[in-house]
Amino acid sequence: MGRIVFAGAMSHVLDPDYYEHACGEAGRRSTEACMAEIARMGERLSAARAEALVVVADDHLNAFSFNCVPALCVRTGRTVQRMVQDHAEAFDRVLDHMPATYPLHEPLANAILEQGPEAGFDLALSWEAPVDHAFLSPVNTLHGSRPIPPLVPIWVNCFVAPQPTARRCFAFGQFLARVIAASPWRVGIIATGGLSHFPELALARVGETDTVFDRRLVHWMERGEHEPLLELGADELHKTGSHEFLNWMVLLGAITPARAVVRYFGELPRINLAAVEWTLA
Amino acid sequence: MSRYAVNSLLYRLKKDPQFRAGFMADPARAIADLDLSEAERAAFVERDRRRINELGGYLHLVMSIPGLARR
Repeated sequence: MGRIVFAGAMSHVLDPDYYEHACGEAGRRSTEACMAEIARMGERLSAARAEALVVVADDHLNAFSFNCVPALCVRTGRTVQRMVQDHAEAFDRVLDHMPATYPLHEPLANAILEQGPEAGFDLALSWEAPVDHAFLSPVNTLHGSRPIPPLVPIWVNCFVAPQPTARRCFAFGQFLARVIAASPWRVGIIATGGLSHFPELALARVGETDTVFDRRLVHWMERGEHEPLLELGADELHKTGSHEFLNWMVLLGAITPARAVVRYFGELPRINLAAVEWTLA
Repeated sequence: MSRYAVNSLLYRLKKDPQFRAGFMADPARAIADLDLSEAERAAFVERDRRRINELGGYLHLVMSIPGLARR
């Protein structure tokens, strides 16, 4: 009988240089503090001896071109490559120092894909899509120099409207939990991105966040009250800059009704950085 | 306004260094054959990131194309 042995969610631009440039010295301090907490979460993840790590994140119009934008996509195959970007700018630059290739847990990825249609999830699949900072910054920060378990990268379309609903993402997470429970593996799961930043995806509003909204999300997660989160609408997520919370909704579905423990929450002008872990039964 | 026209151009600028170099040297010429509205074409020729974003260009693309922002 398989089970989820670790669950965490965290911001995914984990680059003190980037946030120092954007927010000054406070940006560096906050990013380093958040990363330190994520590293401590990683020690617990490693201690849980996960045989696979599901990583739920989003595509920044990087892996998928405009010939296809999958709502939910599972990466299968034996390995996945780090995205390579020539003369990278902004959040792409952080990838440069990371390992180039990562093993995948192909049997778990295939189980998710194969059991999906009967459960109502006709999932996109990819054998070739590379992974960007949304996957690799958290994974590398969690593990440091320790071995990284085989990954199951899953993309949620957080940015290209129409996105999947919060309710749909939660239901997908519940499905993931059923697949894992029926498997023989000990599985960790993380969701990445957020919290509030880039409201309305407007360049003119870069530098704004919605901390009140974020604190509501955190409050519900801490109490294990997931029902209100199912009602989050696309417009609300868009206006508050919470597009990437859809990734977190997948994780919440997988571990509900577990309660969150906030390891880090830090307000910056550019983004609210967060690292959250769930207490699993 | 064509969300596809704007974003497929942004995507190409991000992913195709040769096309990007041509665009940076002569934007009007590089995009001459593309199906863009006058407003879209003007925004790209001016390398006006905010206007490109307002015309439907996705923020993450607008922010991550090397050299797009006028220095």
